[in-house]
Amino acid sequence: MSSRSESEHVSYVVQSESLSKRYGDVLAVDNLTFAIEAGTITGFLGPNGAGKSTTLRMLLGLAKPTSGHSTVFGSPYDQLATPALRIGAVLEATDFHPGRSGRDHLRSLGWAVGIPDARVDEVLSLVELQSASKRRVKGYSLGMRQRLGLASALLGNPDLLVLDEPANGLDPEGVRWLRDFLRDFASGGRTVLISSHVLAEIAQTVDQVLIINHGRLVAESTLDELTARVGGVVRVQSPQLDILAELLQREGIVTTRSNDHALFAQGTTKEHVGDVALAAGVAIHELVTEGSSLEEVFLDLTSEGASQ
Amino acid sequence: MNQLRAELLKIRSTRTTVGLLVGLIALALLFTILTCTLSPMSQLLTEQDQSSLLSFGSIAGVFAALAGVMLFTSEYRFGTIRPTSLFNPNRTHLFATKITAGVLSGLVFGVIGEGLVFSIGMMILKLRGVSIVMTGANVTELIVGAIIGTALWGAIGVGIGSIVPNQVGAVISLLAWGFVVENLVFGFLPKIGRFLPVHASDSMMGPLQSNLLPGNAGTLVVVAWVLVLAIVGVALLKRRDVS
Repeated sequence: MSSRSESEHVSYVVQSESLSKRYGDVLAVDNLTFAIEAGTITGFLGPNGAGKSTTLRMLLGLAKPTSGHSTVFGSPYDQLATPALRIGAVLEATDFHPGRSGRDHLRSLGWAVGIPDARVDEVLSLVELQSASKRRVKGYSLGMRQRLGLASALLGNPDLLVLDEPANGLDPEGVRWLRDFLRDFASGGRTVLISSHVLAEIAQTVDQVLIINHGRLVAESTLDELTARVGGVVRVQSPQLDILAELLQREGIVTTRSNDHALFAQGTTKEHVGDVALAAGVAIHELVTEGSSLEEVFLDLTSEGASQ
Repeated sequence: MNQLRAELLKIRSTRTTVGLLVGLIALALLFTILTCTLSPMSQLLTEQDQSSLLSFGSIAGVFAALAGVMLFTSEYRFGTIRPTSLFNPNRTHLFATKITAGVLSGLVFGVIGEGLVFSIGMMILKLRGVSIVMTGANVTELIVGAIIGTALWGAIGVGIGSIVPNQVGAVISLLAWGFVVENLVFGFLPKIGRFLPVHASDSMMGPLQSNLLPGNAGTLVVVAWVLVLAIVGVALLKRRDVS
């Protein structure tokens, strides 16, 4: 039994505890605590300047936290034996020497950790860049650079992929390619942490979201929970609206009437409203969630001044 | 060893190094051919005259230092410091790798620079009928001193690049120091100036001018400069975040 807590600990691929980063007067990351389980795709969301990139840099040992700490696979990044063989990351889409070929870029990274050229060529073909691999990067399109970055992250055949705004500048086809790729990557039990400032960009890709604003965690949940939790509005039509309104209010649910035939119940789910109506024998003619769109939820959580 | 191979690949895989080598070869040839051909015979008679002329290969130190500066500054300039740091998270190891690569590339610059200047210079002097008064020991000290000195300048360049990550800033600092500051200090205060890196490395090639340190002391002083820069560079690398 004693090993239980240990095994629970190990199942978290990424853990951040009270992580904070201060730059002068600005608290870029404020007491951030979260954990990511293996085999999930997590969206790390927040507006520009919310502290996403700073957090990722601290997770990856590039920036030192002012306080708190973080671990990847149970250890601080820079204390893992050869982290590049377990964690692949892309922080900027443009991190290449323009005069170096894509293949040499990958070899110069891979050789440092003993990755053979055969693996370099493998990842080049995985991201469909093999034909351009010997050309200098300055001739690459943005999409090609994004894929070369991804190739560098994949070199070590990692179990965790960390991508900072990977969809920036991608055309719709590129976004779809990335989505399929990440789904495929995670289907084998591997883990993805992907940041974005646009929820819609990654809503179809991720299982769960971490939302930060002004450096603080404002939501950590699955997308479904998020929709239900914030601003979900259930529209009900019933010939017995007065009775239903009273029943719901007794449950602590705020209701508003738009006209004689519809009632809006806030902050609940249609299942709950249906159950309440059924228990009281109230007939229901229509029952739909008219909740805010995910994007509205996201904007609501991250609007100026919004916090926990 | 793997890291060093990777670092040397970085040096080989852009045109910067080739550009620096071409610059060095052109400058060495131009200077050697012009001065050896045009210097009046009266300025080619003593051992010091001949050594000074044939020590021009040590200009390779400037190119080696520039190549060394690029090892860090081009990583910062193009952002490759991020993936490089992810693959090499130990900053002390990263610095050790880069400074070793800087020394090795400096050796290549030194061999090419001094090799060209010495062989072509000697050939021209002999063709002009100059009587060579340099001894075998002089020649060895000159050639070995120029090559090792150039290699150490590769290390100095890496140190400067690690301290001043801005490429333009680092290059300007290096050139301003080497061509202006040190010459001023040495001109006015030779007792201090001879301990500065350019003049200390000059002394490694023999007593080319008065007021220089003895060769061995010069070598130690240059190595000490490398160590100081390395200590400061590693401390800064460990302290600074990779943004």
